[in-house]
Amino acid sequence: MKLKNPYEVLGIREGASEDEIKAAYRELVKKYHPDQYQNNPLAKLAEEKLREINEAYDYLMKNASARGNASSGSSRSGNRGSYRSDGSDFFSQVRSHINSGNIKLAEDMLDSAGSRPAAWYYLKGLIFMRKGWYDEAYSHLQRAVNMDPSNYEYRSALNRMNASNNAYRANSFNRGFSRKEPDLCTVCQWLWCADCCCECAGGDLISCC
Amino acid sequence: MFGYIVPEKPEMKIKEYELFRAYYCGVCRSIGRRHGQLKRLALNYDSAFLAVLLSAIAEERVDVQRKRCIAHPLQKRHIICGSSIVDYASDINIILAYYNLEDKQRDEASVVSASALVMLKRAFCRLRKQYRDKCEFIESQLNELLRLEKEKCPSMDMAAEPFARLMEEVTAYEPVCAGSREEILRWIGYNLGKWIYLMDAFDDIEKDIRNGNYNPLVCQFGYENQSVSEFRQQIRDKVEFTLVYSLNEISKAFELLDIKANKGILENIIYMGMLRKTENTLGIRRCSEVEESV
Repeated sequence: MKLKNPYEVLGIREGASEDEIKAAYRELVKKYHPDQYQNNPLAKLAEEKLREINEAYDYLMKNASARGNASSGSSRSGNRGSYRSDGSDFFSQVRSHINSGNIKLAEDMLDSAGSRPAAWYYLKGLIFMRKGWYDEAYSHLQRAVNMDPSNYEYRSALNRMNASNNAYRANSFNRGFSRKEPDLCTVCQWLWCADCCCECAGGDLISCC
Repeated sequence: MFGYIVPEKPEMKIKEYELFRAYYCGVCRSIGRRHGQLKRLALNYDSAFLAVLLSAIAEERVDVQRKRCIAHPLQKRHIICGSSIVDYASDINIILAYYNLEDKQRDEASVVSASALVMLKRAFCRLRKQYRDKCEFIESQLNELLRLEKEKCPSMDMAAEPFARLMEEVTAYEPVCAGSREEILRWIGYNLGKWIYLMDAFDDIEKDIRNGNYNPLVCQFGYENQSVSEFRQQIRDKVEFTLVYSLNEISKAFELLDIKANKGILENIIYMGMLRKTENTLGIRRCSEVEESV
């Protein structure tokens, strides 16, 4: 694969300053961080993208600072999440199928399982998430948390689902999306108020009324 | 169930708006040129979005021309011409419009949809030969949907699956699917389909309750003779969660595409236009709420 222009990868102009590079890098790492793509079918691609970004950043920082403080900011270790064995071989098998992307097999195994402890609901929830069945995923994770409230892993998966929507909304908001946009009647009210104020002060904003 | 994918116009740059409209007009013109003028009535925004998305990653150079059209005879408009992707989007437009009409006709036969079906029939038959695999897949998914409807499927995720898979197939246009793009486009398509289906379901709650038709949300959340607005209020948060989650997945997949053009338009639609549509459909932003806050 041919090397891409590192400036293009980071989305900055050529010859950008060190601070600009760092700022752009930080933004991108946040965007493509493995946490953002956990239990997402495209997780591998996001990882690749992040690797590309890290390479571009390392390259630029090496060249940008001749002073030699080119600390590689890319010590992103594989964020697999702490692996908790559930004390049963069966579920760890299902789990490894999910991790390797073999969703169909994992689902068949779960469906044929006899008992349904919290781990069952948790794994089923992960599978639903991969399939794009978010409502089912949420209720299964919720159930896993209810059955085993002390389990950190279940709880954090549920929290991540909640946080994920907020991240999207924050992004929309930054682009100018706003729920409390004044509609036409509010604007008219403002105009009318402004007109009254002007008239009180002896002037006039809207001459016809 | 079409026309939900719209841009957030006030936040658009003027050049982006012009270009988006050029795609829209391009799809319209392509339908007219290749399938007959009357079929242009089947045009919708979703296929314009498809054209914008696919040509954002294609190598194809777009040719924008200023032309007059029947709908706007007085003013010349920018129109995208001679693009294979715009042609594809217009074909898909006709195909989906035809299936949609067929479905409507099955639910409640009317003179309007019957005559529209007759009008589209010939163009559709030609396209069905051309896109045999895609059409067969679409038909299998629609049959699956019909089966779920008959069974009164009580899960919105399960009910949305066939339509989501259908949109997934449509979005994966082979000529632009090199490398990892196919996977990304498919995930975008899947979530688009899911979003559209559920938006439509929420929109139709009242009508479906009145007519006794199947509605996944009514079945899942167990409607029990309360007032419709009360029911909508009750299920709103749950539905909103899934809808916004789908949009979020679309945005995450979109960020992985190597976009060559149309970035502003797509970001506008994905981050704002569709979110606005979601909130309006769910009735989250009300005039009264705004007034209270002032």
